[in-house]
Amino acid sequence: MSENILEMKNITKSFFGVNVLKDTRLTVKKGEVHILLGENGAGKSTLIKILSGAYAREEGTIIFDGEELSPMSPGDVIKKGISVIYQEFNLVPEMSIYENIFLGKEYSNGIRVDHKREIKESREYMEKIGLNVSPKTLISRLSVAKKQLVEIAKAISNDVKLLVLDEPTAAITDKETEMLFEIIRELKSQGIGIIYISHRMSELFEIGDVCTVMRDGEYVGTVNIKDTTEDELTEMMVGRKVSFDKIENENVDWEDVVLSVKNLGYKDLVKNVSFDLHKGEILGFAGLVGAGRTETAKTIIGDYKKDSGTVFYKGKEIGTDLSKNIKNGIVYLSEDRKDEGLILMHSVAENIALPNLDKLCRPFLNRRMERKTAREYVDSLKIKTFSELTEAKNLSGGNQQKVVIAKWLYSDADIYIFDEPTRGIDVGARDEIYNIMYELIKKKASIIMISSDLVEVLKMSDRVAVMGDGELRAVLDNDGELTQQDILKIELAEEVNNEK
Amino acid sequence: MKNKHNINLSDWIIYIGMIGIFFVFTIICSAMGKNFLNINNVMNIVNQASINAILAIGASIVILTGGIDLSVGSVVGFVGIFLAMNIKSGMPIPVAIILCLICGAVIGLFNGILISYGKVPAFITTLGSMQAVRGLAQIINGGQAVSGFPLEIGALMKTKFFGVVPIGVLYVVVFYTVMILILSYTKFGRGIYALGGNSHAARLSGIKVKKLEVIVYILCGMFAAFAGVMLLARLLYADPSAGSSYEMNAIAAAVIGGISMSGGKGKLANTVVGAIILATLTNGLQIMNVATYYQTVITGLVVIVAVFADKRKERKAE
Repeated sequence: MSENILEMKNITKSFFGVNVLKDTRLTVKKGEVHILLGENGAGKSTLIKILSGAYAREEGTIIFDGEELSPMSPGDVIKKGISVIYQEFNLVPEMSIYENIFLGKEYSNGIRVDHKREIKESREYMEKIGLNVSPKTLISRLSVAKKQLVEIAKAISNDVKLLVLDEPTAAITDKETEMLFEIIRELKSQGIGIIYISHRMSELFEIGDVCTVMRDGEYVGTVNIKDTTEDELTEMMVGRKVSFDKIENENVDWEDVVLSVKNLGYKDLVKNVSFDLHKGEILGFAGLVGAGRTETAKTIIGDYKKDSGTVFYKGKEIGTDLSKNIKNGIVYLSEDRKDEGLILMHSVAENIALPNLDKLCRPFLNRRMERKTAREYVDSLKIKTFSELTEAKNLSGGNQQKVVIAKWLYSDADIYIFDEPTRGIDVGARDEIYNIMYELIKKKASIIMISSDLVEVLKMSDRVAVMGDGELRAVLDNDGELTQQDILKIELAEEVNNEK
Repeated sequence: MKNKHNINLSDWIIYIGMIGIFFVFTIICSAMGKNFLNINNVMNIVNQASINAILAIGASIVILTGGIDLSVGSVVGFVGIFLAMNIKSGMPIPVAIILCLICGAVIGLFNGILISYGKVPAFITTLGSMQAVRGLAQIINGGQAVSGFPLEIGALMKTKFFGVVPIGVLYVVVFYTVMILILSYTKFGRGIYALGGNSHAARLSGIKVKKLEVIVYILCGMFAAFAGVMLLARLLYADPSAGSSYEMNAIAAAVIGGISMSGGKGKLANTVVGAIILATLTNGLQIMNVATYYQTVITGLVVIVAVFADKRKERKAE
């Protein structure tokens, strides 16, 4: 039972002369859920990518199932029995579930693929994990949670011995998380080792057995979950204590409505949404994934063209011209850094300059100014990067998020809409982002903060808007009495409706 | 550690390649008793490269946005015959040229609107307009070539400065300088890179991506029209099938110059080197008396080798 399935020792890796992993180790036993914890940029993803064969290691040994693994291709690693499920899934959206499960290992008599057999076996794998849809369903029609289950089914079909889950609950509901945990426990009982990467503390205590903490590419320590506390883990991660208290906001001017949304509608995603945002206020937007919060934000700024309703900004009605609204000072920081926030192939400096080119071009682009400004933001936001000329894709998630924030800080807007500002970001960097928000409201900017993390919503918001099924269900005062349960009750009311 | 600049071989590989090709031709030609490397021949090469180089500006900016324009070769043919007929009917040359540029702009506008607002893939749109414009070139003079018009137009290509520098070189220098500055130092230029790098992020950063995309295709059409004027001035003969497959040479020059086909990355300055490499190959192989068919084979292979070398860094990263 206590036999090791995986032992990684002395793993070292550097990118562009920067050491991202220094002599790191990780030991996972059979039938154990091993939590891998660390801030963004701590080297968790890099370590996993070395394990999966996506990156080559410079030094170190990997012993898997009693056998030393030489560096090999990702395909060979999967054949050995190691499956990694990333946040961005490796599924072909326009193919069916069974085709995805058997991708690259089709049953074939040399000419024809044996679809019947693939469907039959896929159904068996899917039943094991309680995925009750037709194997012929297209991936693109599945929810995030179901795609995840398909990935797990695929892993099982590959005779998985070690399963790596990278932030599996980042984008699924609480109920789906419960189901996922059931499956993880089942896999565990079959002796499969599981590496589980997550930032959600409460989860770790529910599902984890052992936890390895990493910081700045180095191994910090391994502890038994039973014998540790949240505080201890947080301290190991950041090297200092972090507070979760509600921030007192004395900057709200309740007389001054900067943004007034009236009866906003967009397709069936945003239904008759009305609310006011005050100067210096942080208005939290809570709700389940798919409740219409992002859509509401995008309709306000004009990325989606509204079907009905009006938006008043500083007393004047505004239209749906996205670039005009941005220029006027309403900006949206996307939840999707990679697709909507950054141009990954361009440098940090170019990304920061992009929304601010009017300021930098008079009439010709002042490149020295561009670099100098970027340099200042890299320093003040503590963005970990080789230089401001480094391509954004080489930064870790948290640092990419800071670049997105820098873009918009420089733009000096009046209304900031943060969409999941700390998703996939570790505790230390979270506090930094909260501080940035606080600095913004001090300067009398206003913030709409869309977040699925209720701790964060309660910590930051002056009022909390709760959305469900495209409707704004309630706007609650965060007076210190408000609890997560209060908000959840309203969120879940919608879910019951959905099931009927 | 900060601000350190690595000198990267990949940034220089195209120049090394160009010098290498010159070097090889110089040696082979002198071994054959022929003269390759002299100022006149170098100027000749640049002059031969000039039409393709001008087309390649358009190809580069379109590819930088993540698009493609296959219609430019047809625009060259159409403009040539349109210009020839207008001049022949007595229209003043400057007016006729401006009219040609407007034609190029209109074709670009048509492409751009379909691509950006109509969401028709650039490949399909410009494949269609390539056919349509070629058809128009055939229609306006019943498929007949045009010749025998006033020869003043020839001055546009045949003038030489200081007795050595052909005017084609001047066009290249001027247009490249202007466009390189625009790409590097204006909001419009940055917008082109941003659009190709990630159109979603560009849009949400307040860049008017649709408008920008249309302007890029208009510019591409106008460069193609200007290349058409240059070709007529060089040949003094307008054939409705002129300029066929020029779009491929232009794309090849951009790609050899390291413009990424997926957009968002590449330097326009290297495109002109790409065009010169292509012209050098043609010129050198001609001097060596290699048959045209072999020249095509060699040119094709060079394009592949150039891109292969350019991807060195990406392969290494994996």
